[in-house]
Amino acid sequence: MRRKQILTMAWANMKQRRLRTSLTTLGVIIGITAVIGLASLGEGFRVTVTQRMEQGFELNVLTVIPGSLFAGLSRERFTDENVYNILQINGVEMAAQVMQIGNVTLHNEEGNEVRAFVATAVNFTEFVRVFPDRFEFETINGSPEQWKNDTMVIGYKVNHPNETEAPFARAGDNVNMTFLLKMKQISTPPYSVPVFETRNFTVDGTLSKKGTSGLTNFDYWIFIPLDTAREIYAIPDKPPESDLIFVKVKDPDQSERIADDIEALFPPYRISILAPMTFIRQVDYILSLIQLFLTSIASISLLVAGIGIMNITTVSVMERTREIGIMKAIGAKNTTILTMFLAETALIGLLGGLIGVPTGYGLSYLLSYMVSRFTMGQQQDTVFHTPETQRAVVTPIFSPAWAVGAILFGIIICILFGLYPARKAAKLNPVEALRYE
Amino acid sequence: MPAILEAREVEKTYRMGKVLVSALRGATLKVEQGEFVAIFGSSGSGKSTLLHVLGGLDRPDKGSVYIDRIDLSTLNDAKLAEVRLHKIGFVFQFFNLLPRLTALRNVELPLTLADVSEKESIQKATDMLELVGLKERIKHRPTELSGGEQQRVAIARALINDPKIVLADEPTGNLDTTTGWEIVRLLKRLNEEKRQTFVIVTHDQSVAETANRMLHLKDGVIQGVKRR
Repeated sequence: MRRKQILTMAWANMKQRRLRTSLTTLGVIIGITAVIGLASLGEGFRVTVTQRMEQGFELNVLTVIPGSLFAGLSRERFTDENVYNILQINGVEMAAQVMQIGNVTLHNEEGNEVRAFVATAVNFTEFVRVFPDRFEFETINGSPEQWKNDTMVIGYKVNHPNETEAPFARAGDNVNMTFLLKMKQISTPPYSVPVFETRNFTVDGTLSKKGTSGLTNFDYWIFIPLDTAREIYAIPDKPPESDLIFVKVKDPDQSERIADDIEALFPPYRISILAPMTFIRQVDYILSLIQLFLTSIASISLLVAGIGIMNITTVSVMERTREIGIMKAIGAKNTTILTMFLAETALIGLLGGLIGVPTGYGLSYLLSYMVSRFTMGQQQDTVFHTPETQRAVVTPIFSPAWAVGAILFGIIICILFGLYPARKAAKLNPVEALRYE
Repeated sequence: MPAILEAREVEKTYRMGKVLVSALRGATLKVEQGEFVAIFGSSGSGKSTLLHVLGGLDRPDKGSVYIDRIDLSTLNDAKLAEVRLHKIGFVFQFFNLLPRLTALRNVELPLTLADVSEKESIQKATDMLELVGLKERIKHRPTELSGGEQQRVAIARALINDPKIVLADEPTGNLDTTTGWEIVRLLKRLNEEKRQTFVIVTHDQSVAETANRMLHLKDGVIQGVKRR
């Protein structure tokens, strides 16, 4: 049979039973609306969260730390040779080692005291190249290359224990740092006692307030030169060592491969590598699963619509039994009858999809607007102190591929559910169908 | 002359509710090209069942039917539908037009099924409606037509694919006498003009007697043949 004629007849039949067609189509519209609405809102949510996390983390910095969570903590120490080897890996831009000094006490020229819990020793020229944005300081003494070995950089929170008062130190000031040098063995309990030492440093840099990058927060750190720390802790027989290495990569998408390459440089389970990109990928994956889950639930409404179509097609086949008999008597094949009924259900699917897709996007925008109204003005005191995070704005994402996919899915559902009654129609005995009143 | 339509020892039993009805009990007949044959019999003699079996609308339980020397029992459902489409035209007592389609679209339907282009099929259907005298009413739906007019549309539909055989089941049964005779005259005229074979089933003896040959069906068997 001519395809155009099949569609024309299907359309005429649908128009004939306008109310019935509208109600059946409404079921499909609701199904498609739910699927598209939740899918696009879910996609928007996923993308928003991922973007937030990408802003919060330094994606291009990997952190190499000693020990492995499940193999126990090794006290692996890093050497210049390790750093050299890491720099040879393809895709690595820079690497900077950090030696931890621990918990120190600082005194300024006025005799005021502050404590710094994360005192570290770094090579400033390397460190600046790994963290050009976050390691931003105020200085009166040129660039780190010109600094002497008694230099110190102070994090914002260490320097401003109280926001309203004057800073602890300004660039150029002298401060004394008291730190644990070693544990001395003695013969009576507690068998070892700490030995402290105090040294004088010049503050060459005061860091601006930067907040966390997700893994580290330099506001609470102070920095002294790595060479100075090595000299202080010098143990003649051993090469100088550090506690962790920050590795800056050229392309964050390569970070998993580079992490594998770094791991291969060490014996198994001796180090761990924190790669934000890996973490974000996991979160992204979990959110995709949630999105899939939501969309699947929405699809149930489409199944319900499908059952409605099955129901209405069954009724329609019964009503049109005689017509089917006539069609068969004048030479229509079973497949023609089948196609005639499926054309109607497919048209309902198409119609439902064409209306359901825009209403679905409408629904997702409405929901996202309601969410943003609801959260507006609520100060969110999270670790991410960037201003954008203070309001939850999830923009639904329109994807033409999904629109096409949803319409096709709707049509397929409608055809599948129409198949059973349509086959029943096709298989009717023509003589019995003609006799049907 | 070779037989265009032949039935040999055709038997058919069908179930009506809980009762088995033995409608055909070995009916045998031969129809030659261009004949106008009437199958005459009282109500319940198996006339309609015979016509359905002859037209490939139903399959016999026993015996065989040949159309144009093709044994219908060898054909599957799809092939049988093609035989109905191209070689047979059916005319029914209750017209059996599709109510939502205009006269033109009803007549055009077999051409549509045969994948004839829209332009060509509309032209053919218009010509055919003109032939049966309904040129002015091609845009009307069946409900807007009288019984006689509906039957003319049905005849036009039966003839549109230029079938070798036209089978008519009580074509006058639902019409008043005058209109019924008009239809009979139309069928006779078409038979003479187009040299197509006509087999009509009727319980009306006067209608049956207009045929070249009258086959008397009784209790599912052809009991006698009467030539004119």
